[in-house]
Amino acid sequence: MARLRQRAKNVGMLSRVPAPPPRQPWLWFAPYVAIGVFALAMLIVTALLQWRELDTARSALEGDMHWAERTIENRLHSHLDFLGELGREQEFKQLTYETYQVKASRYVRENPEIQAIIWVDTEGKVEWVAPNESTATFVGEQLAGERMAALQEALRIRRELVSADYRDTTQRPMHDIILPVQRGSADLGAFIALQSLEGLLRATLPAVFTARYSLTLVDAKEREVLSNTSVKPTDRQVSGSISIDLPSNQLGLNIVAYRGGGAWLPFLPVTLIIVLTLIATVTLIQLRRHASRRAETEEELRSAYAFRQAMSNSLITGMRAIDLEGRITFVNAAFCRMTGFEESELLGIKPPYPYWPPEEFDQLQHNIDTALAGRAPASGYEMRIMRKNGERFDVRLYFSPLIDAHGQQIGWMASMNDITEPKRVRVELERAHERFTTVIDGLDTAVHVTDVHSGEILFANRAFQNIFGFDCIGRDSAQVTAACRPHSEWLHHDPATLPAEALPCELFDGEIQHTLSGHWYHLHERAIRWVDGRTVRVQIAADITDRKRIEEVNQQQQKRLEQTSRLITMGEMASSLAHELNQPLSAIANYCAGCVKRMQSGNYKLDDLLAAMQKASDQAERAGKIIRRMRDMVKKGDPNRQPVALPELIDETRAFADIEAQRTGTQLIVDLPAELPRIVVDRIMIEQVLLNLVRNAIEAMSDVPVERRQLRLAAHVVDDRLLQVSVIDNGHGLDDDDIERIFAPFYTTKPEGMGIGLAICRSIIEFHQGRLWVEPRREGGTIFHFTVPIEENSGEDHE
Amino acid sequence: MNEPTQTIYVVDDDEAMRDSMTWLLEGEGYRVSCFESAEAFLQARHDAMRGCLVLDVRMPEMSGLELHERLDALGSQLPIIFVTGHGDVPMAVAALQRGACDFIEKPFHNEDLLGRIHRALELDAQLADRRQRDGAIAHRLEQLTQREREVMNLVVAGKLNKQIADELDISMKTVEAHRARVMEKMGVRTLAELVKAVMSVS
Repeated sequence: MARLRQRAKNVGMLSRVPAPPPRQPWLWFAPYVAIGVFALAMLIVTALLQWRELDTARSALEGDMHWAERTIENRLHSHLDFLGELGREQEFKQLTYETYQVKASRYVRENPEIQAIIWVDTEGKVEWVAPNESTATFVGEQLAGERMAALQEALRIRRELVSADYRDTTQRPMHDIILPVQRGSADLGAFIALQSLEGLLRATLPAVFTARYSLTLVDAKEREVLSNTSVKPTDRQVSGSISIDLPSNQLGLNIVAYRGGGAWLPFLPVTLIIVLTLIATVTLIQLRRHASRRAETEEELRSAYAFRQAMSNSLITGMRAIDLEGRITFVNAAFCRMTGFEESELLGIKPPYPYWPPEEFDQLQHNIDTALAGRAPASGYEMRIMRKNGERFDVRLYFSPLIDAHGQQIGWMASMNDITEPKRVRVELERAHERFTTVIDGLDTAVHVTDVHSGEILFANRAFQNIFGFDCIGRDSAQVTAACRPHSEWLHHDPATLPAEALPCELFDGEIQHTLSGHWYHLHERAIRWVDGRTVRVQIAADITDRKRIEEVNQQQQKRLEQTSRLITMGEMASSLAHELNQPLSAIANYCAGCVKRMQSGNYKLDDLLAAMQKASDQAERAGKIIRRMRDMVKKGDPNRQPVALPELIDETRAFADIEAQRTGTQLIVDLPAELPRIVVDRIMIEQVLLNLVRNAIEAMSDVPVERRQLRLAAHVVDDRLLQVSVIDNGHGLDDDDIERIFAPFYTTKPEGMGIGLAICRSIIEFHQGRLWVEPRREGGTIFHFTVPIEENSGEDHE
Repeated sequence: MNEPTQTIYVVDDDEAMRDSMTWLLEGEGYRVSCFESAEAFLQARHDAMRGCLVLDVRMPEMSGLELHERLDALGSQLPIIFVTGHGDVPMAVAALQRGACDFIEKPFHNEDLLGRIHRALELDAQLADRRQRDGAIAHRLEQLTQREREVMNLVVAGKLNKQIADELDISMKTVEAHRARVMEKMGVRTLAELVKAVMSVS
């Protein structure tokens, strides 16, 4: 249990990332510096010790050398004294051969370095030799070479002398100690002690000395004569030389101290110090490498920690760890957010958890039991839990075992997803799809989607299936819709070769008759990108059979209406025309009657009669013109569009309009620009429109005072294609309702009107690709505008 | 038979019509005067005009009917013959109801027109006579006193002398005296003559 609590604590501590230690690079140099200083101190101490040792050795050497020098000199001096004793006895002839033999032999025995003591004559011939058994020389032997030279030198200077060293028969270095003997001024000969140098050293210096020091004898010419060791010491640091002052011979004795333990001994501490220092340094480097590796690992671990922490916090999935008994050991931020509980409120709690709604206790207890038993379903549990504020929400909980670093299961990790929103979205999506299907299926237009390459029908709504069969989805569109399909040449683009960036793109928009049913469809086809990215054709087919039929009926009706209208217009015109015709006819009748009366009475002047008849005939012509105009108006062939000048048209219209205008006292003002291009219209049709509009305008002004009854005809060029004509009145005007409906057939504001005039006018203008519209005039009254096409090359024809 | 002071006034906006009418009517021996508009006629009009007016119904600005109204307002008694075109019949009927003399529809037969002109001129002559006679009676009426006029009105209304006396609160004798003076001043001998004279002017 304590372990688990500790673990929980550790897990809890995960939330705090340890701060990286402060970096102190100089710290790493301290050990190196310490090692360096230590090594240096050791070296200095060692050097000091060695120096002192050397010093001691040197002073010992010096002492020993002085001692050796004195000893050797004493020995030599004792030899010279003995020889001097012999010489004095010889000089005074007190010495006999036998005495000599005894004394000398005894002396040689006492001093082993002396090989022999001989007596030579002045010519260098050996005369006595003691001891007898000596093999160093023989009686009668003639001295030669250096020995002879030394003898002669000694005789000459009449003092004792030591010869240069030489080799005896056994090649050992020897020298002669020569003592010349005179009597008076005559030379008698000389006593010579043959001294072995090796023996000298051995006899004079104790064994300890020779063992400690390497001894080398050199002659006056610095030639090495003898050495007690065959190995030459390399280090001459502790060495010294003494010169044994011998008469006429400088025998140098060089003494070099031996190194105890070999020459490498002084280097051993230094070497050791260096080696140890190196080892310490290498160890330190290794240690540092290890430490830096450790620091890196720590850094990695820390960032991994931080990453994991961030991940855990940014997760929208709630994570909860429980131990094997169900106690909560970890919750992440998302879990806390979802439930509304603090982390501290949840950690360590056993089921039932505080976020369990009371009504779900049994179910949730069952869930946790099965989960702890390891029988949690892979699909997780869908369940309802409670926020801290009591709000319920739906979650899905997945369990997975929590394994520690040793591969042991320590609990269960549960991930919790809030599925309230996804659930709502799913339901919403289903509803949206349902709505979409309902709408699409509810349409009476047939909609279907076809793959452009395979022709496979991917989607078809009910209306489409009603027409082409309920098994059409998945079949080839070309076969299914063969009876009602736009020819591929009719398409604006080949859908199969359309690049993706050109989508969506219109392919076809037109009306097609189903060859089997005879129904008419308005097909609208577009190429679009389908939900999976491929290019498809979407076709929307609206059944327009009824509309088509109505259109046909309408067209026929329109034609009839047009004709009727013309007749009605003529009928309405009839009274005006009758009046107009009445004038000339009445005038003619009057002239004729006047003539008849005068002729009957016989009271007349011929000129008067002629004048009256002429006037009658003029009136007849006037009547004829009116009739012709009327016939033109009624006569109606196919529309015949020709270039015509607008003023001409207006003049002809005025011929009719003026009658009406005069009758009502309306002032008709034609206000045209000086230069107008010709228009391409059917003359009669446009005259009819103009007349209709003028008549409407006149009627509209019937209620206004006569002086205000002004009707204006204006025109201006809109652009290079259209000319606009306006009919402007001062009448009662139109209200908004009228303006909207005034062009509808059978709508009229006039008590006797049939309401087809404006409808036909509009058809006529639209037949000319123009437009007819109305707008109220600010000052009162109404303006009717219409546009008609301008002759294309009017610029050349028009002067 | 035409009285020499009578003139036929033709008002028509159509020049040919005016000219041909003149030609026709002068051939019949009438005096003709033409006007090209209602306004022109109104300017020239005076009370002493005798004859008749031949008026075109349809004219720009002031129409024939409007002119008729204006003339009525001015108290003109000149007989008017409207000349109408086709389709103007209801309008002409309305005009007749307002007291127009006659109307004729174009195109008309010249005899027809002449007949109507003849009748119109006769009417004009009668009206002129009556205007003269009415002028005499009116003169006599003006000579009656206030009380005599009151008595006369009640007498014409058929009241008995006693009733008149009660109504005016005067004596029977006074009524009889007033009555005798009225008969004398009006120049009539019987009650019937008095009634006729009063009715003719009222």
